[in-house]
Amino acid sequence: MRILLAEDDIDTANFVERGLTELGHNVLVARNGEDALHLGLTENFDLIILDRMMPVLNGLDVIRRLRAAGIEQPAIMLTALAQIEARVQGLDAGADDYLTKPFAFSELSARVKALARRSSPQHAVTRLVVGPIEMDLLARDVRRNAVDVILQPKEFRLLEELMRHPGEFVTRTMLLERVWDFHFDPQTKIVETHMSRLRSKLNEGGLEDWIETRRGVGYRMRAG
Amino acid sequence: MRSLLRSAANRIAILTALTLALATFAIGLAVYFAVNSAFLRELDNVIQQGNVSLLASYADDGLDGLTESIGERERSASNTLAFAVFGRDGRKMAGALDTPMPSAGWQRILFHDTAEGIDPGRALVTTLPDGSRLVVAADLEPVESIAKSILTVFSVGFVAMLVIATAFALVLGWYLKRRLGRIATGSRAFASGDFTGRAEVGRHGDEFDELAASLNAMLDRITALVRNLQQVTSDLSHDMRTPLSHLRSHFERLRDAPDDTRGEMIEVAIEKCDELLSLFAAMLRISELEHADLKRHFGLLDLCELVRELSEAHEPLAEDSGHALIAIPDDKPVLIHGDRELLAQAFINLIQNALRHTAPSSRIELGATYRDGHPTMFVRDNGIGIPYQDRQRVLDRFVRLEAARSTPGNGLGLSLVKAIAEAHGARLCLRDAQPGLEARIEFAKEPG
Repeated sequence: MRILLAEDDIDTANFVERGLTELGHNVLVARNGEDALHLGLTENFDLIILDRMMPVLNGLDVIRRLRAAGIEQPAIMLTALAQIEARVQGLDAGADDYLTKPFAFSELSARVKALARRSSPQHAVTRLVVGPIEMDLLARDVRRNAVDVILQPKEFRLLEELMRHPGEFVTRTMLLERVWDFHFDPQTKIVETHMSRLRSKLNEGGLEDWIETRRGVGYRMRAG
Repeated sequence: MRSLLRSAANRIAILTALTLALATFAIGLAVYFAVNSAFLRELDNVIQQGNVSLLASYADDGLDGLTESIGERERSASNTLAFAVFGRDGRKMAGALDTPMPSAGWQRILFHDTAEGIDPGRALVTTLPDGSRLVVAADLEPVESIAKSILTVFSVGFVAMLVIATAFALVLGWYLKRRLGRIATGSRAFASGDFTGRAEVGRHGDEFDELAASLNAMLDRITALVRNLQQVTSDLSHDMRTPLSHLRSHFERLRDAPDDTRGEMIEVAIEKCDELLSLFAAMLRISELEHADLKRHFGLLDLCELVRELSEAHEPLAEDSGHALIAIPDDKPVLIHGDRELLAQAFINLIQNALRHTAPSSRIELGATYRDGHPTMFVRDNGIGIPYQDRQRVLDRFVRLEAARSTPGNGLGLSLVKAIAEAHGARLCLRDAQPGLEARIEFAKEPG
């Protein structure tokens, strides 16, 4: 993917650029808002990552102008401001996602992947299958080896998030946002405990665990 | 003089005195001119009338008639005028007025008064058809002496006013300085570092006492803020030091660790950093809640729904630690204006506190209801509770009771709940649940 990274802090820019390049992306770095706007308007990118506070033109203004110019590529806003207001402003300006500094690179890369997918056309899926696990999104039921697994609604939602993109990591923060609609860190182990419930229900009777946990990164479904 | 003027009280006083004195002086001048011109006009009238009647005599009987009329008038006791008729050659032909021949028209003349010597006078000089001149004059002496006495009265008044007003003003200045000085002494003591320094509040209940009282209220507030800041700074440095020194020793161990355990140790180090970051995030969140106006992001929400949602989210967590988590939402929706995530955070902190600080097998209830018409949310446990004398204190930042020192947490949980409640115009109170603790957030009654 071709990614525009607008970030004035050199350390952060290098950190993100190196990480994304290692993942095989082609990253172009702009050091201020004006350059970012110029690049965004004149070249084609698949994804835009913008720092909120930049010299000359801030991230909010850049994204607002890009959107006004009809550039619809997904955008992630990075910010040192964890405030409630700041998140709302970022999304209002036209960003698709919002990440508070400091962040783990795994968090950013998981979100980049998720957003990149959003830009490609999606057809409505009603049934997900990963290995022996089948999920019917309409009937809201889950089977493993054709045996019903009874899940609580949140456990179902957790599994759905993992099964939609097997092989890709979903972070704890993303799960909090998507399953519980919490955009803050509740500092409790609700994700972990629900995940362990989900696992024990899925693997009942000593079956093989299809959910992989990577410390400091998140969870993923093993690819089929 | 300069040191006298440095005091605002003295400046006001002196300015007031000068203004009053100048006003007196100006009034004096105005009265003087008004009276003077009124008298002169009156005098001119009398002269004019005398002149008209003499000209009538002249018209009837010529120069002889005129001379006779003048003689009659001069002999009359009520006469205030003096007359003279001069021939064409300038020689006086009739009248007692002793003055050289003036030219025609209204004139100011000097004449010789038998009693008083040379006097100023006002005269109307008319040239008669035969070329001689009739002079009708009046003595200006009485008018001028009245004007002079007016001037004298006001000059004395001016000086008296200046003296009295200055004296009064200096007393006023001294009084102002004394009252303000008492206030300043207290605040100066405060400024020099004595946090007990306060302005003296008198017994009059006047403006100065109000000023002193409000200044003291301000100083009280500053003292409280400074104490809080000192407390927070020392607690923060303590709360930062411990994890930072753990982190440091962790890195030292990491330096010498065998390669196969490094990955794991680095993950632990990152987690430790995240804990520190979350401490900062919590502090920033609290200060944001205390200062930002979040009301415009608020929407209508049902506390009962939040209770159901959060109890479901935390049920597995409670079960793992052996607690019973029970949701008791009201039968009907409990509606308030608020921010779902903030209130969820408040609930979660309270649930977490209950989980941490009660023994396994304790019962934790969370619910929402109307209490005396106030929408209320609560988290109640049947654990050991918090002693009455500590209940207010635990709401402050970083306060952790000794009993809780060994449990995880940063001492910000309840401060955050309190800040969230206050951002919603609600009140957080901790009550004895007999046994255990009830944390209750009471919202204002919703209109309608």
